[in-house]
Amino acid sequence: VVTFGGGHMYVSQSTRAARYGGNLDYYNSYAQRGQPADRHEVATELLAVFPNVGKVRLLRSWGGVMDMSMDGSPIITTGPLPGMYLNTGWCYGGFKATPGSGWCFAHTMVHDQPHPLNAAFTLERFHHGRPIDEKGAGPTPRLH
Amino acid sequence: MLIPCPVCGPRDHGEFTYGGDATVVRPDVSDGDSGRWAQYVYDRGNPRGAHREFWHHVHGCRQWMAVERDTLTHDVGGAELVGAWAGRES
Repeated sequence: VVTFGGGHMYVSQSTRAARYGGNLDYYNSYAQRGQPADRHEVATELLAVFPNVGKVRLLRSWGGVMDMSMDGSPIITTGPLPGMYLNTGWCYGGFKATPGSGWCFAHTMVHDQPHPLNAAFTLERFHHGRPIDEKGAGPTPRLH
Repeated sequence: MLIPCPVCGPRDHGEFTYGGDATVVRPDVSDGDSGRWAQYVYDRGNPRGAHREFWHHVHGCRQWMAVERDTLTHDVGGAELVGAWAGRES
């Protein structure tokens, strides 16, 4: 996977095609279809890195719902109900499946309490005045 | 998606910046209850359907407006000015 910091763009190549993305709508939406302007912007970012793919045709595009949190950090914690565990709020990072967070989440479920590594990633942190706002962007999901 | 700006008429949403849920009410400045302030800052209904929300016509007339939009279909209903220009739609 090739990514770059000037935007959200990443690209990977399979034997038959390349897969690239992505962008946010920046407003609440359950439409799951994306916007033509965003498809254009992401394609523009891809061409900025790999101008040689300019003649490649777009086969499919995908739009989905992202679980944006209010501080840009995930929620990996015991749930408000017994036997309930939360692993959400990863924004568009797509790291839900990373081994490290999975290991912490498994530890949380087995012991019914979080590992020290994810102890701060609670659901209550917002109401307790302890958000994990790494960018200092404030409680505005589209800015994370 | 077209937003019916009360000043400029229907314009592409790319000219606007999103301002979030317009139904959230700021507590009174004398309110000492931290729970209500946390609710105001962090808690949102995030409904799937009708949503009243702020948009700023930043690349147009630069006015803030409250827009009725369906978050599932992106159907946009009415828009009205808020703040100092509220109620002064042409």
